[in-house]
Amino acid sequence: MRRKGSGIHKNVDNPPSLGYREILIVAFRNLSRHRVKTVTTTLGVAVSVALYIFMDAWLLGMNLDSKRNIVSYEIGAAKIQTQAYFEKKDDLPMYESFTDWKPLVEVLEKAGYAAAPRMVFTGTLYARSGSAPIVFHGVDPEKESRVLRYRNYMEVGRFPDKGTYEIALGLLAAEKLKLDIPRRITEEELLRLIEDTARTPEEGAFIRRLYENSDNRQKDLTRDRAPLSQEKLSYFLRKDLPRSDLDRYWELLLSSGRNDVRISTVIDIKEETGKIRHVYQVMEAKVVGIVNSPNPKTNGNVAFMPLDVLSGEEGLLLEDRVTEILVRAAGAKDSDLPGPEETPEAIEGVLNRAGVPLPSPLRVYGWQEYVKDYIVAARGDNITTRVMILLLFILSFLGIANTMLMAILERTKEIGMMRALGMTDGELILSFMIEAGMIGLMGGVAGMILGSLANIPMVNHGIDYSTMARELSGDFGYRITALFRSAWNPGTIIGSGIVATLVSALLSIPPTLRALRIPVTESLRFE
Amino acid sequence: MTVVEAQNLVKDYSTNGLTVPALRGISLSFERGEFAAIVGPSGSGKSTFLHLVGCLDVLTSGEIRIEGTDISTLSQKELAFLRRQKIGFIFQAYNLIPVLTALENVSFPLTLLGVDRKEAKRMAEVALATVGLEGMGNRKPKEMSGGQQQRVAIARALVKQPSLVLADEPTANLDSKTGSEILELMLSLNRTHGTTFLFSTHDKMVMEYARRLVYLRDGIVEGEERR
Ligand SMILES: Nc1ncnc2c1ncn2[C@@H]1O[C@H](COP(=O)(O)OP(=O)(O)OP(=O)(O)O)[C@@H](O)[C@H]1O
Ligand SMILES: [Mg+2]
Repeated sequence: MRRKGSGIHKNVDNPPSLGYREILIVAFRNLSRHRVKTVTTTLGVAVSVALYIFMDAWLLGMNLDSKRNIVSYEIGAAKIQTQAYFEKKDDLPMYESFTDWKPLVEVLEKAGYAAAPRMVFTGTLYARSGSAPIVFHGVDPEKESRVLRYRNYMEVGRFPDKGTYEIALGLLAAEKLKLDIPRRITEEELLRLIEDTARTPEEGAFIRRLYENSDNRQKDLTRDRAPLSQEKLSYFLRKDLPRSDLDRYWELLLSSGRNDVRISTVIDIKEETGKIRHVYQVMEAKVVGIVNSPNPKTNGNVAFMPLDVLSGEEGLLLEDRVTEILVRAAGAKDSDLPGPEETPEAIEGVLNRAGVPLPSPLRVYGWQEYVKDYIVAARGDNITTRVMILLLFILSFLGIANTMLMAILERTKEIGMMRALGMTDGELILSFMIEAGMIGLMGGVAGMILGSLANIPMVNHGIDYSTMARELSGDFGYRITALFRSAWNPGTIIGSGIVATLVSALLSIPPTLRALRIPVTESLRFE
Repeated sequence: MTVVEAQNLVKDYSTNGLTVPALRGISLSFERGEFAAIVGPSGSGKSTFLHLVGCLDVLTSGEIRIEGTDISTLSQKELAFLRRQKIGFIFQAYNLIPVLTALENVSFPLTLLGVDRKEAKRMAEVALATVGLEGMGNRKPKEMSGGQQQRVAIARALVKQPSLVLADEPTANLDSKTGSEILELMLSLNRTHGTTFLFSTHDKMVMEYARRLVYLRDGIVEGEERR
């Protein structure tokens, strides 16, 4: 045995350094001492890390998705409104409208934006079967569809044409007023419907063929909403009907006059003097389409109709008034949130450079302004979910803490021996931290892989929520109805692995400190 | 050169408010290359003495110098480093690290000293050969007999060439034939390397090997014998 020069007999106050590789080996071998326990503890960590990653991706996806929804179906990137309107926007103060919008829209369109003027007002819609309060949107059909996408989601029928007294109605209002295609009717109702609608026997037979008897449908009953008594559940619209049949049926319903409605509203116009003039107005119209978009706000008690006829004498005498102009970059992708060229500042800048600055009462407001409450609520939701997952984390970490406690207790004698051999307390703490950290790391990595694997289908395909959303009457707070997808969050994926490793390592410290409080001579005697 | 110099060692244990005197004033010194046995009946203070000399426990009063250093002046950490560099331990129950192989157990003290891995492995192989365990380096402790495990422990204590090897009843768990073999080994290492050995025993046969015998009784030195 030859000593290796300077390596060994150093001075006491010049401490030699420890071979960390050996500590790693010892830690690793110790982990394989109790394989089952190591594996279960690791699995516990893996499951919580995976769940956290999965839930986080879900929440992020939900958040992004609902923001995209709000932008694509409700607001666009920004709104131009009078400041007074914006401040009272929850009351829909139509008297805070403005007239000089045409040059603004022109400039914006030239500068590569889509701009859609709108007049929003409230009123009552009267149909044959009843009435409902509705928020009406007077829109320019072409300009509107360049900013928002709900037009692409007509449940049935079409969007109103310019210059007509036509209405597209939200699905819920249409169902309430019995203006949509009847999906479930009694035999009696079906006969009356055929009588009212069919002009020829062939048309009558056509309509009859669209329905099937409830006997064939027993299994599917659970899919439908309001439970009706058995005798009444007689006829159901067939599920597998081609679009062309539905369109023909819809046209028959329209021409029967069934969808003719009356709009009754009070128009408020602010005089130069500041006094508000109320004008009672009634207008005949026809519901030609039903909207059912991925954003529940377009599917409720809302109606869309051409702005131009509202301005005219037959309409509401609005004299070209609008309450807002929606702005979005032309050709913006639905999958993207508004970019830097769509901020209020950027839009104002474009108007200023074109020499058409916004008149004094008008302002540009970014989309976030309209969803502040919603964003706060969504964040709150995130927090509760996160707290729940955190509890799960704590549980799995208790597992690690317990495993380490047992391991350290069991090795009391070994610890005494290692201290006798000259290992310092710090080195022992470190070696147990490495051992526990390895459990955390293995669990963390497994969890990262598991969570990411679970995310792949959720991100690429998502979950189709449309039926469920309708059954819950459309609004869960989150604006998601059609399809929900998770979103990747690399920060969380990497972060949760790191946190799992670090927390596990830290959890080994208390039991190690406890073991180190036992005098060496005592622990050597320990059995 | 004096390796261990103990003066007036007193060690009291207090359990449940009762003070148990374990050592009651012991003065002994050991020179380099000694092969000495601490003997005495059970409870006489043999283990206590070895623990104190091995810097594993704190004195009640008195003074211990290891190669001239007064250990009462050292911090916990410095004591650990002193043990790491100068003292080898052989325990009655072998106390090998169960998850490491024989070779890894032997090289462990070297890695604590920061010896390069290849060099540590080479030195550990030499040490294993010296204790007669050539080729058994890959075995885990539980795959070896008690005598073999104690040989590994001896190799582990000696591999770093310590100034002092302390062994508390190293043969108590072994049959007498294996016990004498272990003593033969220790003695031959003492001769060839000049390592200072200090061991305790109450086994007559083991005492035969010692060149110096220190008799303890009730915490004091009752007598000494040199051969
Ligand atoms: N941790 C302790 N707490 C209290 N008393 C102790 C402790 N350790 C030793 N003693 C007491 O100190 C005295 C000396 O004990 P020690 O273990 O040194 O004896 P020993 O000579 O090694 O005995 P044995 O041959 O049985 O190993 C005994 O009376 C013992 O009871
Ligand atoms: Mg003893």
